[in-house]
Amino acid sequence: MSCMELRNVSYTYPGEKMPVINNLTLQIEKGTCLAVRGDNGSGKTTLFRLLNGLAFPDTGRYMFEGTVITEKYLKNNRASKAFHKKIGYLFQNPDVMLFNGTVYDEIAFGPRQMGLPDEETDRRTRDCLQLFGIGHLAEKAPYHLSGGQKKRVALAAVMALNPDVLILDEPMAGLDAGSRAFLHDFLSQLKKAGKTLIMATHDEQLVRDLADQVLVMEMPNMEMSDTETPETV
Amino acid sequence: MLPVWMENTDSYVPPGGGGTFAVKTIRSISAAVGKLQFQQGRESKPFLPAAARLLLLLALILLLSLSRHLLVLLACTALAMMALAALPPDRILSVWKSALAAALLAFLVLLPAMLLRPAGRGNNLIIIWKIFISVQMVSIFNHTTQWNRITSALRRLHVPGVFIFTIDISLKYIVLLGRLINDLLTSYLLRAVGKNKQKYTSVGGVMGVVFLRGTEMNRQMYEAMVCRGFTDDYEGL
Ligand SMILES: Nc1ncnc2c1ncn2[C@@H]1O[C@H](COP(=O)(O)OP(=O)(O)O)[C@@H](O)[C@H]1O
Ligand SMILES: [Mg+2]
Repeated sequence: MSCMELRNVSYTYPGEKMPVINNLTLQIEKGTCLAVRGDNGSGKTTLFRLLNGLAFPDTGRYMFEGTVITEKYLKNNRASKAFHKKIGYLFQNPDVMLFNGTVYDEIAFGPRQMGLPDEETDRRTRDCLQLFGIGHLAEKAPYHLSGGQKKRVALAAVMALNPDVLILDEPMAGLDAGSRAFLHDFLSQLKKAGKTLIMATHDEQLVRDLADQVLVMEMPNMEMSDTETPETV
Repeated sequence: MLPVWMENTDSYVPPGGGGTFAVKTIRSISAAVGKLQFQQGRESKPFLPAAARLLLLLALILLLSLSRHLLVLLACTALAMMALAALPPDRILSVWKSALAAALLAFLVLLPAMLLRPAGRGNNLIIIWKIFISVQMVSIFNHTTQWNRITSALRRLHVPGVFIFTIDISLKYIVLLGRLINDLLTSYLLRAVGKNKQKYTSVGGVMGVVFLRGTEMNRQMYEAMVCRGFTDDYEGL
């Protein structure tokens, strides 16, 4: 059973004529890394919204760990929490991910929503603060941070849930060299730990080092190409 | 290849005047946004923890509005004056401004009653005085307490998470949108050299963009919350 599977999925934004995603079939195995490439506007973010259950295919289906994900399925709060606990999503714009009064609360938000005990929430929050080198920002308001700091906080907030699958939308954009190296290293460690990674990126080195599979998004059609370990779809 | 005009330098002599409208708008917005940010970072040494001060504030306002004794009114006034005296001058001024505005508004509202029923004048004046003092106290609290301290104070007083959350998000939006307006107007100003007959249209455009960006961000923020386990049932902060 694959971790994620899209079968002949098409998606058109309401009110638009052209589908952004057209008859896409894709299979992602647990513990592998998929790199998504493509020009601006080719539908990378839209694909991620589908994978996160924020939008739903018009035709075709999306299966996560063997379960077909539909709007109705995610209406159930418990199913929704379980699904989102397993998938972490780093938005392209970290601003929309930061809505708490302090960085600490921001990171603790996810674990609290999941109903983890207070001590566990606190432990994870402190670990994440340390791991991402943002301990000194704990009591700061997230919206007063710099762009790179915001991205670290957003990633820490996602990782506090310890997702099995991490989806990153242009994670390297807007980072300085130090932060890029840090992120590169962090993602390699995650992959070694057996997490599934899905990322939209223009970073060649990152794709070469981590990706098992590369999906190239094109308008109007999409093509699959494989690197390293080939996969049949 | 670059178009020819781009390879050359324009000799441009700006016509006089113009531009002040945008400059003024930007200045006032920057000032407002700056004030918010200043409040965020400010941590004056509090004589009481924020939660206690918030309780005190609520108690004083309640006392002030319910009590009929002149003595209570005078005591509250004295207290407010003392707290006010501890602030730097520019803050005293801004506290007084908002308090005076509120008192003036109350005066205008009560004016017909005072004219028609002279016997109640004394009471009405006391109401205006009470409003003046209450607004002054709220404003002092506002000036001496960081926003995130206020939200954590509310939390300690067991105010439901959703309310605190709404406050937090609104604040974040004020800052972000304020900054966005500021950036848009600044870039407008940098490009709008000289006179501009369309200045009101431009500002309309800026507001339109801010509105659209606001709604889009709103949607995305909701999605970001869902992705981290939010299911409309708020699990305490
Ligand atoms: N909310 C929306 N409504 C309508 N069209 C949209 C919306 N969001 C994105 N699009 C369109 O879908 C296409 C793909 O966008 P997106 O997935 O954001 O691309 P990418 O992330 O690869 O840059 C673009 O042409 C964009 O204009
Ligand atoms: Mg995108």
